[in-house]
Amino acid sequence: MSARAEKLDLFKLHKAEYSARRKPTLVEIGPGSYLTVRGRGAPGSELFSQRAEVLYAMAYTLKFESKFAGRDYTVSKLEGLYGVDGQSMNDLTSMPMSDWNWRLMIRQPDFIVDDNLAAARETLRAKGKEGDFEAATLETLEEGTCVQMLHVGPYEEESRTVEAMTTFAAGEGLTPNLWHHEIYLSDPRRVPPERLRTILRLPVG
Amino acid sequence: MAADTLESDRRTDYPERVLRVLVHIQRNLDDDLPLDELAEIACFSPFHFHRIFTGMVGEPVARHIRRLKLERAANRLKHTRREVLGIALEAGYESHAAFTRAFRAAYGISPTDFRAARLPALMESASGVHYDAGSEPPAFSPVSPEDNTMDVEIRSLEPTRVAFLRHVGPYDEVGSTWERLTDWVGRECLFGPDVRFFGMCWDDPEVTPPDRIRYDACVTVDETVEPEGEIGLTTVEGGRFAVVLHQGPYDRLGETYAALLGRWFPRSGHSPGDPPSLELYLNDPDGTEPEELLTEIWMPTGGSR
Repeated sequence: MSARAEKLDLFKLHKAEYSARRKPTLVEIGPGSYLTVRGRGAPGSELFSQRAEVLYAMAYTLKFESKFAGRDYTVSKLEGLYGVDGQSMNDLTSMPMSDWNWRLMIRQPDFIVDDNLAAARETLRAKGKEGDFEAATLETLEEGTCVQMLHVGPYEEESRTVEAMTTFAAGEGLTPNLWHHEIYLSDPRRVPPERLRTILRLPVG
Repeated sequence: MAADTLESDRRTDYPERVLRVLVHIQRNLDDDLPLDELAEIACFSPFHFHRIFTGMVGEPVARHIRRLKLERAANRLKHTRREVLGIALEAGYESHAAFTRAFRAAYGISPTDFRAARLPALMESASGVHYDAGSEPPAFSPVSPEDNTMDVEIRSLEPTRVAFLRHVGPYDEVGSTWERLTDWVGRECLFGPDVRFFGMCWDDPEVTPPDRIRYDACVTVDETVEPEGEIGLTTVEGGRFAVVLHQGPYDRLGETYAALLGRWFPRSGHSPGDPPSLELYLNDPDGTEPEELLTEIWMPTGGSR
């Protein structure tokens, strides 16, 4: 299971954007292209799982079609954006999860474009796969200045990390934006909760 | 060292069996000492013996034998007037130079200077076992310390359907097998959030000759998937396993295996079962730093020792 050095890895290419320190820091996030699925409701709901499956199926089909065409790259980490209509980030945890709007995203190299997505959907259908593959689209996101910090442990214990981040932001005279961004360095289906590593990112631009 | 009675009861069996091997090695230092023969003396399966030995003695068998031979050589330098070359040959080295290099690495001084300096002839030994000219049973204390806290869980595995690709060859070359398997997974559009990747290990890569190590790269699949070309389908047998998490590069898995088999199993009341053991890869080596890699070792329990 060895990785190849020459292969494109966006996580390494944009190392500064994925800085993962145990204390809040300011980072500048440039524009990125993300394969994205959207929805509303609790993480873990049926829609959430269906969309996650679509996202994975599309992301890996895109990667392998590109690899077989001679252009390999590392599939980036899963990321999630969470927000509630009209509410600031700080209120998120007090809102019922059924009101949460979310986006699940996997960052893509620049050379992955809509045509590739169309081809990937066709491949998946030709293989008899079922799913709402149209739900996965390419979106560009530019978050600008953000407060960022590494959270280690279960997602349920994120509030302490978020608190440290908002306190830090206030000290810098900055106000967190409307959404809460998570970059999943570990897979919660496999890694025990106390070892989960998640980058938390609050846009403050 | 104060020993808990219950713990020492449980532990007597393993140390006794490893001690039999240590005595045999001391008495037959100049013979070939093949691992399967040593495993038989200890009544351990050859699949487990080397890791048990390494975990309990704190060094692999080959290094243990090499150290004893160097200690014997040091002893002979110290207590006889025989020529260095003769002592070198008895220690298994083909030349004065090769012996000097090995000796200096071990004692920090050349054999000739060592003879003049009259230094102690013993090297460091985690288990307290040293070359003993009188061939007394060695004073053996199993390496134990910090691993009392080793986090091992007994877990059950349901029979699991997998597509797999057999690798026969050096363990550090399984990467190319994985690439062929994941290319197939990609081509068949089988990637998903719940797909698991694991290795089925039929051999101990530190024991079996590299060209004969058998390893199956496995990916979980549902019942609709059919075998194709070199990709086979099988069901991994369920059962009870001792599970431990290894963090770090794959080439250091051997240390965790040795700790599991040589330190945890002896005092657990469980015995390790027949191969295969499983390696469950919790993160993707493509895009993960080697130090961050997490691998669960699943060692079957309950087999005959």
